[in-house]
Amino acid sequence: MLILSRKVNENIVIDGRILVKIVRIDGENVKLGIEAPIDVPVHRQEVYDEIQRNNREAVSSGRVPVPRIPRPKRPLDPGTGSSEGGSGSQGTPS
Amino acid sequence: MPMGLLGFEQSKEFNLLADPEEAPFAWLQCSQGTRVSFLIVDPFIFFPDYQPDVSAEDAAFLGLSTPQDAAVFNIVTLRPGGNPTINLKGPIVINRQTRTAKQVIPSNAAVYQVQHPLPTAS
Repeated sequence: MLILSRKVNENIVIDGRILVKIVRIDGENVKLGIEAPIDVPVHRQEVYDEIQRNNREAVSSGRVPVPRIPRPKRPLDPGTGSSEGGSGSQGTPS
Repeated sequence: MPMGLLGFEQSKEFNLLADPEEAPFAWLQCSQGTRVSFLIVDPFIFFPDYQPDVSAEDAAFLGLSTPQDAAVFNIVTLRPGGNPTINLKGPIVINRQTRTAKQVIPSNAAVYQVQHPLPTAS
């Protein structure tokens, strides 16, 4: 692992396109600012690990019976995340 | 899904299989290589107050101009002999117009659980 010393407001540049700035140091907390291209995902590692682990548990090799659910609180309309209106029919990505 | 799912970064092409008999559940099935599938569900049916805060960066990545263009699904984990759970911390957001999708970590992810119990009929 490469270890570098930096002061507040100093930066590290990675691959000429990712900028990591030391914004603030407050006791044990270091606040970092990260500028990266839109296709470079940046996550807190513990959250990333938790979701990755869950995805691995959730993966299925095929379709299996789905759970039975209680009576829905509103009409079933899979895929309509937020609201009425809009373009209506959405179809199925294929 | 240009970035795949977390832990499945190489799986980028998925079909959304929605069988009315399985509603509100649907399947995200990878169309490349090993055909891994994920059971997904419209979270708002179970949790009407669910409000993941999609970051401006993720909205830009997905090319979302209005919230109406976004469909939200969450991965369900089936547990043999146990109750299913839903991942409210890492929702999958789909741009309905472009069919581009991404598993996002909302800025308010800390208030949601990765393994939230899914209400099921007894």
